[in-house]
Amino acid sequence: MALPLAEVGYYEEWWVQILKGIVIFAVALQLVPIVLIAERKLLGRFQGRYGPNRVGPYGMLQPLADIVKLLTKEQFRPTTSAGLLFALAPGISIVTAVAAFAIIPFGDVQHIGGERVGLYGIDVSIGPLYLFAFGAIAFYGIMLGGWASGSKYSFLGAMRAAAQLISYEVSQGLALVGVIFTAQTLSLTGIVHAQGGMWYIVPQFVGFLIFLTASFAETNRAPFDLTEADAELVGGYNTEFGGGRFASYYFAEYLNVLVVSGIVTTVFLGGWLLPFGVHPPGWVDPIVVLVKMGLVTFFFIWVRATLPRLRYDQLMSFGWKVLLPLATLNALVTAVIVVVSHK
Amino acid sequence: MSAVIFFLAAIGVIAGAIGVVMLRDPFYSVLALVSHLVSLAVLFLLLRAEFVAAVQVVVYAGAVMVLYVFVVAYVGEEAATIGDRLRGASSAVARTRTLAIAIGGCLLAELLVALLGTGLKAIGGYGAPYHSGPKTYGTPAYIGELLLTRFLIAFEIASFLLLVAAVGAVVLARRRGGIGEEPEPHITPLHVFRPLGTGTMAEGVEGRMPAAQAGAGLAAEHEPASKREPEAVR
Repeated sequence: MALPLAEVGYYEEWWVQILKGIVIFAVALQLVPIVLIAERKLLGRFQGRYGPNRVGPYGMLQPLADIVKLLTKEQFRPTTSAGLLFALAPGISIVTAVAAFAIIPFGDVQHIGGERVGLYGIDVSIGPLYLFAFGAIAFYGIMLGGWASGSKYSFLGAMRAAAQLISYEVSQGLALVGVIFTAQTLSLTGIVHAQGGMWYIVPQFVGFLIFLTASFAETNRAPFDLTEADAELVGGYNTEFGGGRFASYYFAEYLNVLVVSGIVTTVFLGGWLLPFGVHPPGWVDPIVVLVKMGLVTFFFIWVRATLPRLRYDQLMSFGWKVLLPLATLNALVTAVIVVVSHK
Repeated sequence: MSAVIFFLAAIGVIAGAIGVVMLRDPFYSVLALVSHLVSLAVLFLLLRAEFVAAVQVVVYAGAVMVLYVFVVAYVGEEAATIGDRLRGASSAVARTRTLAIAIGGCLLAELLVALLGTGLKAIGGYGAPYHSGPKTYGTPAYIGELLLTRFLIAFEIASFLLLVAAVGAVVLARRRGGIGEEPEPHITPLHVFRPLGTGTMAEGVEGRMPAAQAGAGLAAEHEPASKREPEAVR
């Protein structure tokens, strides 16, 4: 019996879908420690030091040691905290991050053992809107965490998150509108197929820049990491969290970086397509996507090591006075061009 | 399976709605409203309206409720006493209560007419016909086409209303001295490309930010309602 939930072109058996769900979660679980060690190693190199190099060969097992340390720590919570919400908030963050990961296409539909399997969790007809819907819910993970902690630093961090995520989500959405106009579809696999001639980073370069900038704010990464600005707020919304709950927040943050990298790859960098008309066999597709995602993630780390943190009012005025008008202009110009060229 | 999801979501919708009015702490009321709206989005998904469901989550749970949470988290302690004040026995309170019950009754009657009118007709039907593919019922393309052809006037009026609301919020904030105490900043075409107060290197080094701009930036931080109003327009 087919579920009417979000028509996604179901031609897959139910067990294939369950299998895909497990594989996606497993992939996400493996990728996060890799990004963790990559970030710490790269930050070390950027700052002229070694980075972690004690645990395992070249310090490669450092994330494992971190995870074991965090998970075996005592679960504590402040007496001022609101118990249930305090425990629930990191869960919301992690669930929304994993759910958003499901729509990133790692490859086209493949024929594996007589079954047609799409190398993605789901190909929703509303594409990026699905991402923004889960982004909207992810905000409650941060907000509730900060509020339920009952400490002022957490509260300030949560309040900053509220204003920041909201204002940058608008620009992020508008930046994608240009792409959707050009591709004439909301489906992410459809957008990748539409990039057969030229990756959208070329015709939609402004949109690409806006999306990337807004994504830094959306994922709370430097230079827009004011929700957890450690120089001002100790740790922001996650100040009072320790052990496994802190690990959940940490996991969600890095998974969000991966999700954004995946979306940038899919929407602007041609997804699994290779340039110069090279058409490799299907099993190469996920490798291509992962390499491109890795490059975007590297850029995220590079920016973190390079740029200082903005002041909070500068962040807000940048979002509303620069990014939003630019994104609107980009959407308008694209709309005119699309209409003229389709005549 | 869809029946199970329907009942889970329906229980969520009703429990959320009851929670909004029954919970004492306004912060939890707002959270109940969020869960109500998200459950409603699940019901929309069951009706094959994925676009409406996503917009429901993005706009209501994501934008509108964020503002509610924001405000209630700031002034939550004071708002908690509203219920206690209504519990008093003065004549003004009694009058307000009667009025509230009357208006609530009217709203209930209106909703019942609308619900029973359409709902009873729909019970015997089979719902919208379902075809896969683009531009069929419930897809973004279909809704977009309807908005720009059949419902164009309603669509434009709604967006105009939101624009008026945004402008009104700015005017109100200005009258209360939130913004606009200072003289209007002098804006040249150069500022279009590099607006003041956006943290450019030149501003930081030379202190090029005029006093008016610096004041506006600070005032805006203290009165965030006007800044965040464009959310509603979205």
